Formats: sequence, structure tokens, C-alpha cells
Amino acid sequence: MELVIDRVTKQYRNKIAVDRLSTVLKEGVYGLLGANGAGKTTLMRMICGIARIDSGEIRFDGEEIEKMGGRYRDLLGYLPQDFGYYPNFTAMEFMLYIASLKGLDRKFAKTRSRLLLQKVGLISEMRHKIKTFSGGMRQRLGIAQALLNDPEILVLDEPTAGLDPRERVRFRNMIAELGKDRIVILSTHIVSDVEEIADWIFFMKQGQFIAQGTMEMLKSHYFKVTQAEEAEAFRLEKLYLYYFSEDFDREREELLFGKDGVHDKI
Amino acid sequence: MIRYEWKKIFERRLNIIAMISGYVLIAGCVFSFINGASFYDKETDSYVEGIEGIRLEQERAKEKEDVISEEYITRIVKEIQSYGMDLESDEAYMEIIRPMGDIFYFTAKNYTDMREPYADRNALMEIDLTDGAQFYRQRMDKIRDYLDMDFSYGNYTKAEKEYWIQKAENTIVPFAWGDKCIMDMVWTTIDIGFYLWFVIVICVSPVFAFEHESGAVSLLLTAKYGKDRLIWSKIAVSVAFTVGYLLVGIVPGICVIGLLFGFSGIDLPVQVWNSVIPYNLTAGQACFYHLAIILLIGITVTFFMLFCSARLKSSLATLAIGITVLIGPAFFPMSKDNGAWNHINYLFPVRAVDFKEMLGAYVSYTVGEWVIPYMVMVVIVYLAIGTAALIFTRKGFIKMR
Repeated sequence: MELVIDRVTKQYRNKIAVDRLSTVLKEGVYGLLGANGAGKTTLMRMICGIARIDSGEIRFDGEEIEKMGGRYRDLLGYLPQDFGYYPNFTAMEFMLYIASLKGLDRKFAKTRSRLLLQKVGLISEMRHKIKTFSGGMRQRLGIAQALLNDPEILVLDEPTAGLDPRERVRFRNMIAELGKDRIVILSTHIVSDVEEIADWIFFMKQGQFIAQGTMEMLKSHYFKVTQAEEAEAFRLEKLYLYYFSEDFDREREELLFGKDGVHDKI
Repeated sequence: MIRYEWKKIFERRLNIIAMISGYVLIAGCVFSFINGASFYDKETDSYVEGIEGIRLEQERAKEKEDVISEEYITRIVKEIQSYGMDLESDEAYMEIIRPMGDIFYFTAKNYTDMREPYADRNALMEIDLTDGAQFYRQRMDKIRDYLDMDFSYGNYTKAEKEYWIQKAENTIVPFAWGDKCIMDMVWTTIDIGFYLWFVIVICVSPVFAFEHESGAVSLLLTAKYGKDRLIWSKIAVSVAFTVGYLLVGIVPGICVIGLLFGFSGIDLPVQVWNSVIPYNLTAGQACFYHLAIILLIGITVTFFMLFCSARLKSSLATLAIGITVLIGPAFFPMSKDNGAWNHINYLFPVRAVDFKEMLGAYVSYTVGEWVIPYMVMVVIVYLAIGTAALIFTRKGFIKMR
């Protein structure tokens, strides 16, 4: 299983949202870190086929996703940021509706919906209308719907927004489990969300990956660039602050440390 | 999938209010047709109203001539002329017109210039009865005169004249005559379908737009069937809703009339409404076609709304366009020098629904040597608009930014 993002670019009027991004994603959890407006959501929307790619292409197992159409969408699970819901639907109705859109057999959809609602802690609320749900409950419902078709590519845009700390932990564990046999792309600006579960982390700024790597790679890079004491505990948040500080000069950093794998250009 | 699309329509409060209001309007109108019907009873010299009045009119119709023969019209005109009155006067109304009822207006209209919207009553006083009233010859003469006239907005072509004259000549004469008040009520009940279109516009406007407004569109478009079956389900449900809502509104109204009074007059020719109508249709068939046109335009309006809803991504903007399309053209004047504009103007829903008027309006469209009568053109235009809207609806909904 391989999802190739090949020099994709997206421009909104005068603003380049995604700038010639390239990467290859295989099974695992990928964390996408960046400030608001960095281009994370646009990239995810392009991966999901709901934002037009101005140039470049995205391929799944060698086939362009746009040409795959319904076959590609069948492999996809997506939790958008601020996903819309139908206030008068109950949680179960909502799940069954999405299941029907995903082409699941009704009997299987019922079983699967129950299972997922159980997993996200909403089984006792399944007959309640969504309009009575809190933000966190709605978010959990969103996560459940994304998993309905047991997707091979799971795209989660700010999935932990609105979740309380306990739910967040539960959700992290769930993601880590899911990432074993599928591609999970997780976008967030909450560093701790990806710190523990992401196999590979991308730092995104102004539509580009300014750094990427495993936690180990990023850790070693951090000590190199900040010249901090090894004894000092590394926290991804520090690297995040370093990259997103106003003083950060990408060209200077590349000049000093070269392309050691942490910088982009795969 | 379809089940949930129905649910979305029926769970919006505004939709429910609009639907109930539409049906209350229909019920109110049918009630007022029946309750407000008023017929003059010669024997008691008074008006009888409501159900009783309609039944009285039905009874009286049985005593009337059942065919518009030359002799019958000659006899009527002779009787009218014998009074020697100004037929526009109140006295003439009380003495002649009111007791005669429908047949007076029907006859007077036959002798009135086709450009006049109302019957010229005094035209009856000028008829030379030496060779009888010549009712059917007069009908054809005035149709020919009308087709030969010079109109400031353009004249009929030779092909159009031939077409219409042939149609008018082929009308079966003499016309049957009888009680037409029931079919009038049925017709007017179908007319109310026009108001039900507004309900359809309200209910269909959010079908695609709400998905954008709520943000659910991202979920839908990333699902396996989000770019095909979902769209067709929404379209199918919207069309089924349109047809169902119109029929559930109109048909029971007609049934109530039928149950109370039967459908007397269903076999009468449409010429009982206007002698110049050039179609061999019965009143029942005309009502059926009228209903079909209401449904066709309703479906096309639905397709157009779906297109706007998908394209504009705003329920409110779609609703505003829908209301404007339905009401706006009512304020478009007919041009005095631009026939092409007039021909377009006739095709707007608000005019197309005036089917009875258009049956005898001799409006046609020429394409080369082909003459397309208005009734056919309405079908062609609305089918074409509906099909185009349908094609672009999908494109509009899945269009990516």
C-alpha cells in the first residue's frame, strides 16, 4: 500500500496554499503539524479528492486517485475539520446514512455502527438526536463514521478538537492501533497529539514541509540545531516552537545542517 | 440512502410549515369554490348558493339543449334581439343575461373580435339573422380575420396561418353543450398547483445547498457513492416529492368535487370555454393535460432549483431565485413591437399555467417550415430546461474549489 504525493500545488487566488509537496506514505501514522493556514487542511482535502489539484498528482498504488473515483473513495475514511451533521438524525441514523453512502450492506452497517459507537463511547446515546450532543460527542461520532468502511487510508483533520483529556488518550490509542495496517494521516496543531503515536511527523509551513522525520530523527536534529544539552529532555513541542518562531530561517538552517533527512525533498 | 433524503426534507420545520400551508390553501380554495358558487334561479328570482346552487345548476343543465346547433343559436339571438335593449345596461342584465346564464356569454364571445378579452354583448344585436346566426361560419371567419391581421409585433407566417386554419376547421362541430360548472371547478383546482410550486421551491432549495451550508459535503463527497448515487437519490427524492406533493394536493380536491357532484360535463368539448379553441379535446382531457403541464413545470422547476442549490451552495439564494422565476415574469409586459420577446414571455411558468387561455390564443413558434403550437413548445422547452439543469446539477455539486 503506497500513497504517493507528487509535486502537488494548490493556489487560492494569490495565495499558494500547498507548494509543490512530495512524499510517499505507507502503512503507519503520519502527523501533520503546522500553524493555522499552513496548508494542512488543503493537503488533506486534496488527498481526499475534494480539492482540485492545480499541478502535480496523487497516486495510490501507482494509479492516479482522480481516475480511481469510487474505488479510491471506497478505501478512504475522512474526518473533516468542523464536519457537518444533521441535527435531527440520531447517532445511529447518521451512521447508517454514511454507511449507505459508503456502500455497506444494511445488516453489516448496523453491526459495524454499533461496534464503532461502542468504541467511541456513544452506544448509550445512539438513539439520541445529534443536536443534543456536545462538541466532544459530535467529534467522537465523526471519528466513528470515518471508520465505518474500515478504510485503508484514514484522514483525520484536527480529530481531537473538542475532546476532553480522557477521550483524547483513548482516541490516541485507537489511532495507534489503526495505524498498524493502514495509512493514517493526522493533522493537528496540538503537538502532544502526534508526539506519542505518529511514526512520521511533517512540519508544515506556508504550504511546504519544512521538516519531517521520525521522532528519533527530529530529536537528534533538534539537539543539533539548538545545541541544547543532551541531558535535557526532548519535547516535540520545543522543536515546534523552534520551527514556528519568527526567527526561524529555513535557508540558513539548510545551509548549516544540509539535507539530513529532516528537511524536505524526498 | 433514499430513506434518509426523505427524512431530510420532512424534518425541516420550514418545509413542514410550507407543505401544510399549501394544503390548507387548496382545501380553502375548494371549499370556497363550492361554498361561493352562486346561481340564479329563474323560478324563485333569487340566487341559490353553495352545494344546493351547484346541484340546481346541474338539474337545469339537463333541461338545456345538449348541442350548439345553428337553430339553437339563431333562436337565442332572435330572442335577445327582440328585447331591443342595450346589452351593457343593468336592465338587460336582469332581463336577458342573468336568466340565460352561460349560453349568453358563450354566444356573445363567438361574435366578439378575438383580440377582445371579454365578450362584446352588443355584438349580438348586430347579427343579421336572414340566413340564421351562422354561428360556425362566424367562428371560422373571425379566426381567419385574426390570423390575417397586421400586428405591430409581427404577423403570422403563411405556414402558421395554414396550420391554425386547418386545426380550427378540423374541430368537430356542432359542439356539445351542457353543464360545465363542475369542470370549471376541477380546472380551477388544478390551477392552484401554481401556488404549490412555491412550496416545492421552498422544500427543494436546500437539497444540495444545505450539505454545503452544514459542512456535511466533505463527508458526502469522500464516500464511495457520494459523487453518483447520492446525487441521483437526491434528484429522485426531489422529483418524487414534487409529483407526490402536487398530486396529493390536487387530486383529493378534485375527488371531493367528484364525490359531491359527479363529473358532469367531463365529455363536453373544450370549445364550451371558448368557441375558437382549435383542439378536439373534451373538458376532461383538457383538465388531464392541464394537470400534466402543472406536473411537468413543477418537475422542471424542481430540476432548476436543484441546479441552483448545487451550484450556488446557498438555500436562501436558491429560494430567492425560485420565487423570482415564479412571480417575476407576471410583471413582464407584452411588447407592442417585439414578437420574439412575447413568444418567450408566454413560456414563463406564470403564463404557461394559464392553460385555458392559451388553448385559444393561437400562439405558435416557427422553426423553418415547422409550426410548433404553444402546447407542444411548452413541453419541449420545459423538458429541455429540465434536462440541462439535471446534467449540470451533478457538476455543480461535485465541483471542487
